[in-house]
Amino acid sequence: MDIAEILTKGAAGRQYLLLGNEAIARGAIEAGLELAATYPGTPSSEIGDSLFRAVKQGNYFFEYCTNEKVAMEVAGAAAVANARSLVIMKHVGLNVASDAFMTLNYIGVRAGLVIVSADDPGCWSSQNEQDNRLYAMLGDTTMLEPADPQEAKDMTVAAFDLSEELEQPVLLRVTTRVSHTRSGVELGEIRPPRNNPNFERNPFRFVTIPAVARKRHPILLEKVKQATEISEKTPWNKIVGKGELGVITSGVSFNYVMEALETLQLKAAVFKIGMSYPLPKKKIQKFMASKEKVIVVEELKPYLENHARAFAQEKEIMVPILGKSQGYFSEIGEFTPRTVIEGIAKALGKAIPPNYVEIDNKVSETLSAAPPRPPILCAGCPHRATFYEIATATGRKGIYPSDIGCYTLVIQPPLEMADLLLCMGSSIGTSCGLTAVLDKPIVGAIGDSTFFHSGIPGLVNAVYNQHPVKIIVVDNQTTAMTGHQPHPGTGMTGMGVPGTQISIENVVRGVGVEYVKVIDPLQVKESIRVMREALAYNGPAVIISRSPCALVEGARKRGANEPIIPYEVNPEICQGCRVCTDKLGCAASIWTGEHAAIDADLCSGCGVCAQICPYKAIHEVEATERV
Amino acid sequence: MFTGVGGTGVLTAARILASAALAEGENVRMGEIHGMAQRGGAVNCSIRIGKNVHGPIIPTGRANLLVSVEPVEALRNVDRIMPSGTIIVGEYRITPTGVFLGRDKYPSDEAILQDLAKFAKVITFDAAKLAQESGGILTMNTVLIGAIIGLNLIPIKEETVIASIKENLPERYHAMNISAFEKGKKASKKTITI
Repeated sequence: MDIAEILTKGAAGRQYLLLGNEAIARGAIEAGLELAATYPGTPSSEIGDSLFRAVKQGNYFFEYCTNEKVAMEVAGAAAVANARSLVIMKHVGLNVASDAFMTLNYIGVRAGLVIVSADDPGCWSSQNEQDNRLYAMLGDTTMLEPADPQEAKDMTVAAFDLSEELEQPVLLRVTTRVSHTRSGVELGEIRPPRNNPNFERNPFRFVTIPAVARKRHPILLEKVKQATEISEKTPWNKIVGKGELGVITSGVSFNYVMEALETLQLKAAVFKIGMSYPLPKKKIQKFMASKEKVIVVEELKPYLENHARAFAQEKEIMVPILGKSQGYFSEIGEFTPRTVIEGIAKALGKAIPPNYVEIDNKVSETLSAAPPRPPILCAGCPHRATFYEIATATGRKGIYPSDIGCYTLVIQPPLEMADLLLCMGSSIGTSCGLTAVLDKPIVGAIGDSTFFHSGIPGLVNAVYNQHPVKIIVVDNQTTAMTGHQPHPGTGMTGMGVPGTQISIENVVRGVGVEYVKVIDPLQVKESIRVMREALAYNGPAVIISRSPCALVEGARKRGANEPIIPYEVNPEICQGCRVCTDKLGCAASIWTGEHAAIDADLCSGCGVCAQICPYKAIHEVEATERV
Repeated sequence: MFTGVGGTGVLTAARILASAALAEGENVRMGEIHGMAQRGGAVNCSIRIGKNVHGPIIPTGRANLLVSVEPVEALRNVDRIMPSGTIIVGEYRITPTGVFLGRDKYPSDEAILQDLAKFAKVITFDAAKLAQESGGILTMNTVLIGAIIGLNLIPIKEETVIASIKENLPERYHAMNISAFEKGKKASKKTITI
């Protein structure tokens, strides 16, 4: 059964092996989903992608939006119009959407609205590791926090119910290790959608002029009170086990706590918080009052810990609360079973399992031998060619603001062509700032999907304020890093049908950029010539460097039975100058010690290395030699 | 624990074993790495099977089995293996760019295997050759699955694993992967211990 079938036809009561993110998608369908909107971002992407795959068999509308703010507005409005809606994003996506999010809490919704925030402790694929539980506090938004894929599905259904009960949006906060854990998930019945979308005009609720906002704020705080009552009683906030020792935890950390207690052979009562905003204050106070010691185990911010301290103070509960403030646990990175075992052992003054030291000593002797293997651009990736050309055209004398996408990987040697990165779309704004204060070529790079996401306002700013920025739109015609989702430039929609394809060059010209050129980065000489021309141009200049993602193009060729003709190095001609290795560094490139070679299994046949070889030693593999 | 390099089928291999375990009624957790880390970088994927399993991550020194097509990637994750466990290494080197650039050094296979053997028993064979014979380098992980089953290292039945290979891969890849599985099962393997 493929994922589309499991989502729409999987049998209630049966277990399927599902990723946490797939389980959330199924949960939304079980809850009678009518509309879902997203902008992809790791670790959230597979939620939207699963809904995309199942859209033709399902009864819901799905779209990839230009960015998270738009997605929040699309789903928020649908829920105001009585359609059950889901909006999905990664943690930093909620920053983008936060303007809409904050006020959506003031107006509330009529049908269920669930906002998924997928946080990334440890920054596996992110520019920061912010803790979005604080957004629940900031927005007075009810939040559920699952610990595993089964809970992820069940809590998604519960979040829709809560949202409808409160007439408020509900946040579902997952982390990488919940989103990307696969386990057996028992499915539930699929409820039919309500199928009654309608818009009740009520401007004094839904139009947040100051007079309305002032009226809605106390209503929102009343909703928090109502949600607190629910939090005191909900089975999602549960106590597991018994003992004088208490542990308060939430999300994936719960799993590590259970394993740590077993490893350390400790008896404890574990308060597993599933509804992390608003917290069940009375229940937590009662729990703490009955314990000799309380340990708080949570990733990132001491959110539960600080609340526990405040709650204890209010009731003059004197129990020692042990956690991050004493240094038993870190605010940095994701936890592992080991960090939790060590933290609990330290907090209780117990010995840490001795074999850790032994293993650590052995590992430190041997691991130094392992060469690092950071993520890199794929073999034949057109980004590699583009950045080689930028390096050549600028003589590496420029500054290169980067953006969010695969092309950020040019930070790695040999290209080392990323200098400044904040967030999605930042390359153009930061290019403006650098151009304003520095007398150097500033060449910003931004991907196609990122350009549509939030690059356009920066470009308008460059034109309006006359910053002579040089922007390269590295257009590989897909949202590659997050799993090849479509975007406005591809024209394919989330409903799986062709939509309107938006031309990047038309947008760029439309906002007033006069120098606009499209290049094929796989044509090295011509690309460098155009880049030099743009650098000499007095004003903002945009080059669209267009070539399909090597993974997508490879898959297309294999599907169409088109040959992929790899290149090879003639060792007789190769002089061992290392230009291909040291200046380009393709993933298919090999250095034998004396001369260059090419891994034919990896080579995509792009031919860029052949074009830059000073001795013309690289050529296509002859037809007769091909396997 | 499966380790390797992004794009070499580590996730798929682990998924085949995890769904086989689920099919046999086991409680199973599998931890995956997606996104940026997948682009040719080091990846690992854990599978945990059993009643008391909660989270997806294998604690230090608790893995029964560490499987890697790539010697250095086995080394990178060796802190997980328990002394009574088994490490299986396919002798397929994937050289990181930093080594070609002369910034880093790739140790000799012998040195790596010796280092690994300090932690647990090491079993090694030429998985790449068997994969090529089966129809392509991408079946290397299926060769390793064959080796795991052939050596009786996990309590999952062979027929369940074969059914899982068929369930998790498109039909056009079934024949070559079944062949890879059989070759891995029967391959003559070298054991290294210290």
